[in-house]
Amino acid sequence: MMTQNGFPVVTALIVLPLIAAVALLFMRREWTVRTFTLGVGILECLLCLPLLGYAPDGPAFQFVEQAQWLPALGMTYHMGVDGLSLYMILLTALMLPLCVLGSWTYIAKRVTEFHFCLLLMTSACIGVFAALDFVLFYVFWEAMLVPMYLLIAVWGGPRRRYASIKFFLYTLAGSTLLLAAIVAFRQVGGTFSIPELMEKSYAFKFQVWAFGAMALAFAIKVPMFPFHTWLPAAHVEAPAAGSVLLAAILLKMGTYGFLRFCLPLTPAATETFAPLMIALSIAGIIYGGCIALGQTDIKKLIAYSSVGHMGFVTLGIFLLSTKGVSGAILQMLNHGITTGGLFMMIGLLYERSHSREISDNQGLGKFMPIFMFLFGLFSFSSLAFPGTNSFVGEVLVLIGAFQGNPWIGFAAVPGAMLAAAYMLRLLQRVTWGEPASYKPSWKDLGLREWVTLAPLAALVFYIGLAPALAITTIEPSIERTLAAMRAKNTAMGLTKDMPLAERWLLTGPLAVAGVSDSIRKEHP
Amino acid sequence: MTAQLVLYFPHLSLALGGLVILLAACLRRTPATLFPILAGVFAALPGLWSLAGPTGASGIGCYYAGLLSVITLATVALTARYAARRGFAGDALYGLVLWSALGMLLLAASDDWLMLIVGLELASLCLYAVVASRLSDPLGTEAALKYFLPGAMSLAVLVFGAALVYAGSGSLIIADSLAAGGPIVSAGLALALIGIGFKLSLAPVHLWTPDVYQGAPAPIAAFLSTGSKAATAAALLHLCAEASPEARELLWPALAGVAGLTMAAGNIGALCQKSVKRILAYSSIAQMGYIAMAAMAVNDGGGEAALFYLAAFALMDLGAFGAVGLLSGEIGDRDDVTAYQGLGYVHPWRAGALAISLLSLAGLPPTAGFIGKFLVFGAALRAGYVGLAAFGIVTAVIGIFYALRVVAALYMQSGVEAHPAIPAPAGPAGGLALGVMAAGVLALGLFPQSLLGAIAALFGGG
Repeated sequence: MMTQNGFPVVTALIVLPLIAAVALLFMRREWTVRTFTLGVGILECLLCLPLLGYAPDGPAFQFVEQAQWLPALGMTYHMGVDGLSLYMILLTALMLPLCVLGSWTYIAKRVTEFHFCLLLMTSACIGVFAALDFVLFYVFWEAMLVPMYLLIAVWGGPRRRYASIKFFLYTLAGSTLLLAAIVAFRQVGGTFSIPELMEKSYAFKFQVWAFGAMALAFAIKVPMFPFHTWLPAAHVEAPAAGSVLLAAILLKMGTYGFLRFCLPLTPAATETFAPLMIALSIAGIIYGGCIALGQTDIKKLIAYSSVGHMGFVTLGIFLLSTKGVSGAILQMLNHGITTGGLFMMIGLLYERSHSREISDNQGLGKFMPIFMFLFGLFSFSSLAFPGTNSFVGEVLVLIGAFQGNPWIGFAAVPGAMLAAAYMLRLLQRVTWGEPASYKPSWKDLGLREWVTLAPLAALVFYIGLAPALAITTIEPSIERTLAAMRAKNTAMGLTKDMPLAERWLLTGPLAVAGVSDSIRKEHP
Repeated sequence: MTAQLVLYFPHLSLALGGLVILLAACLRRTPATLFPILAGVFAALPGLWSLAGPTGASGIGCYYAGLLSVITLATVALTARYAARRGFAGDALYGLVLWSALGMLLLAASDDWLMLIVGLELASLCLYAVVASRLSDPLGTEAALKYFLPGAMSLAVLVFGAALVYAGSGSLIIADSLAAGGPIVSAGLALALIGIGFKLSLAPVHLWTPDVYQGAPAPIAAFLSTGSKAATAAALLHLCAEASPEARELLWPALAGVAGLTMAAGNIGALCQKSVKRILAYSSIAQMGYIAMAAMAVNDGGGEAALFYLAAFALMDLGAFGAVGLLSGEIGDRDDVTAYQGLGYVHPWRAGALAISLLSLAGLPPTAGFIGKFLVFGAALRAGYVGLAAFGIVTAVIGIFYALRVVAALYMQSGVEAHPAIPAPAGPAGGLALGVMAAGVLALGLFPQSLLGAIAALFGGG
């Protein structure tokens, strides 16, 4: 295997949970299982530390690892990290120990199997974000399906069967389209290597089909507005840790897919269909907010708010400007932290009151002040209060929107106001509402729960108050991607106000000079 | 003489192995545990031979000696305790299994029409008896009869086809006779393919398969679906590779229709089955549809893809049927899907092997089934069968549901149904074989190059 930095960091991040998962099978006592997995999670976070040495102005892909996998078909084991994937990998690693801690008492049955699934999920998710070979990406993408399915199906709520099958079918339908696109790229581009595919430019007609297949697969995963119906069902039925993983990591795979594949591989089609995607995003923002306003179940409310927040992310991506895309990536990270924290807290609340209805959980401020402090913190972050992390992301996206086309900005602003409306309504009732009946189980947070939530709370402020640190890391990658996109579109002769019939006839020059230079510089 | 001995070592060891087992039974006071051990030793010899890489042996002979050796060895290991507990272990069972493997080897490596027919018939004749080996079980006898009648029919069609080919070309060598071309040869080839289609259970002549697999004891069903299918598929690949262009023009549309129909019939048929063994039978029908598609693209890399897929299929089907056998109680096989509820928690290892095998049959990564399907569909696309490949992908997606149904039963509902709740003990050999199969499915999925490299080396990269 060829590695860039001597120690194969990414491979270690993927292999460690796998080995740990196998080792779990030989453990008998629940306490051992939990402690062991927690230890592995902390080790995983420590293993991530070398990734912080990512040099923003360095080569396009860093920490590259390459090995032969299936030379007969041109598949390679090719891993690498760039600005688009760096924070997603860090977030995935961070979520593992937090999920273990958060389910310490929540999961009481089949403990070994639960942690087995958690570890497999972590491994597959990191693989998705780091894979630089299209087939390898698909392998990880699919490998994450079965453990997630089991997480919902085995440890879920009363309607878990329905929710898990719905989740599986939706995602599988998308994956099939993705596989078709992968094979098509192999036929046309002649390789599975993502950096090599990025160097080339394809005919418009091909781009439209490929974009359609990939965008549908990713839109289901995000989920974008008309394909979102699996999400509330899955969130409501999944156990707390399952919801956290779903919200924090799985949804990001869709938006990551847009950034990694749609923008660089099908730039002309992306630009052509960007207005449609923007319209769907805004529809998602408004729709998610309106539906969230009417929910009585806290978890459902947060689930629908996710639809709205992810709408902001896709909006930012398809603005196709540096501001918009960096806002989108930041928002991906923020949504993971904030919504992950909220779902974790709902799990803690459910453990205490065995209900997720707002009416059963009113007036908690008097009995659980610390809980409500953190819940309020995450809620404020969710409605993008200045000083919290989401504010930065959302403002960047909105600035990008107003720069692109003021009407887009005007259309998106009500979404931000809706978020304030439903979150404040929730907070007001849960904190100060008249309790229907006092429950002796309303005890405040314990030390373990504190430790679970503290890292997320710290990140809320850290990103909220010093966003420049994160943005400067990701911006060069975004600029590189957008510049390559523009270069390819110019090379094939695409202009802004070209009618579709003319675009349809455009053929792509397979190689675009400036683009290959900027991507080739993989090794310094 | 020595060269001949080396060349025919696998055949000799399988034939002699059967004889030795039968002879050992004549001696007084032979312990019953000796038979599986002897069978295992003689089944392993061809594999060692092919690993040693003998000079002068054909690539296909070498590959199949190895593959059939693995299949036979696994079958013997899975059968050993299973048959002993149910009282149908004996010299005849193991002897016939070895001889049937000999027939499969002859069939797979045949260059000559007569050898092909002899091999096919030797393999089938032994299998008819093996399927019915559990004499107390009426289902087994019925299965044997249902296997025998289509088998006899298919042999008649195949022999008639071979006779027509001989009449049209004057040669019994497969390559020469098919190269001759002409309408009579094409008609003969068509009949021969129909005969082989019967054995491969290609739709619309697949209807015997579910009944036979359901009736046969689970490890025997594994042998039936892997060994016999793999060898017959080799014959199909061989015939397709040698077919003349005019025969292709005539027959390929029909073969495409058959392949598509088989994939659809297998995957859709499996959806509404209640019996796990019938689900597996329909799934093996579907897999043969993919093999038929690869056979159409045999000269565009489909051959290598099919050989890889056959090996992967052998591992996963042995794993699946083997797990069914090892999870079964003493009386019948555990068959109803509902009887598998919650087994994942009671017997994690055996159920885990079943789950891995099923996910591989469904073609989900990171298992051998995914790589195999990828190769097969890639070959079909390269050869230009885009419509068929697209149709195949759709049916493969449908196929994921039946696998998921069984996996869901294994892990979702808690509480084991009262069925025969306690499976008979697996025995060390059975457990080991099952573990090796499941590990092999994952290993081939993660490191497919190990086998693909061997295939490429054996067939000279083309």
